Amino acid sequence: MIISYQWITAILGVVIAGSILYLVRRDHLHGPYAVWWLLVAIITTVLGIWPQLIDKLGYSLGVAYPPVLLLVLAQGMMLVKILTMDIERSRQERRLRHLAQHMAILESLIEDQKQTKDNTGE
Amino acid sequence: MGGNKDAKKQACKKLTMPLIIIPAFNEAETIVSVITAIRKRYRYPVLVVNDMSHDDTARLASAAGARVLNLRAQLGAWGATQTGVVYALKKGYTAVLTLDADGQHEPDYIGDLLDQLDCGNDIVIGAYVERCSRARHIARYYFKILTGLQIEDMTSGFRAYNFYAMQVIASKQATLLDYQDVGVLLMCRRAGLRISEVQTPMNLRFNGHSRVFYSWWVVMRYMVQTSILCLSQIGMPNTFQFR
Repeated sequence: MIISYQWITAILGVVIAGSILYLVRRDHLHGPYAVWWLLVAIITTVLGIWPQLIDKLGYSLGVAYPPVLLLVLAQGMMLVKILTMDIERSRQERRLRHLAQHMAILESLIEDQKQTKDNTGE
Repeated sequence: MGGNKDAKKQACKKLTMPLIIIPAFNEAETIVSVITAIRKRYRYPVLVVNDMSHDDTARLASAAGARVLNLRAQLGAWGATQTGVVYALKKGYTAVLTLDADGQHEPDYIGDLLDQLDCGNDIVIGAYVERCSRARHIARYYFKILTGLQIEDMTSGFRAYNFYAMQVIASKQATLLDYQDVGVLLMCRRAGLRISEVQTPMNLRFNGHSRVFYSWWVVMRYMVQTSILCLSQIGMPNTFQFR
């Protein structure tokens, strides 16, 4: 029996979406990331079950070979995602450095207070 | 920053006791001699920012009479220096002087740098230009052209900053810098600060090596990163608000 390509794309779409949902449910993906990945899960499922949608969209936009449209869109989305990841990483790096600096300063101020207390014999 | 000019003059007068900041990473062999040399000649408080050393740097520095801040995440030389500046601002200092923990900077010249700071400069660099490798000369010339800064020794860690420069270099924008040299100076220039240099001799490094110029890969990374930083700064307006 030959399995139609639609079954394969549908199974792939559902498995990917299921994995993402599982990760969101288990709190492995934090708020805004979960929104992005749920969107990806929906798109993957829809296009997996109805891959001909991309053909229709492609032809209506005048794309001669519609699968290319899917690849271009996917690449564009990945580019946006990677760029926003690096922006986020930079923001986190700044916060981490800030926290490390302030922690070192606070530790030293606590030490000061301890010494003052010891000296005054409180 | 027109409204800041009068306040700026007043702050220059306020310069009384600067804080000496020494960022240190595994400098147990030299830290004591550096602190001792400073304390022998000056009465300025010394702060060592320990950048997660694996050796005895923190204990030895403390025993030698320095105040020690222990970072819990390694931030590199610039991150450690900035920590010292943030601390200085919190403690009410109106000037800081930074120098390396490996003994390459001559503490005798601390006074010269601070004098220049009192003369109306916001940043004074203890520059050493004579004996350096050809690669360093090329790098310096390249950055001089790229930044348009008329400074001979942009990589020197021997620097004095006044209250205004301290505010700029302690800012959030300066936190993401990876090196203390070109990026910091560009930021200060953009904020309208005056930078000058004092020629100082340099002790031969008897321990450690340059944090920047120690392997071709690191040099390349530094050059590319700093070039991008320089180019990204072109035409950027001054948005810094002084306190």
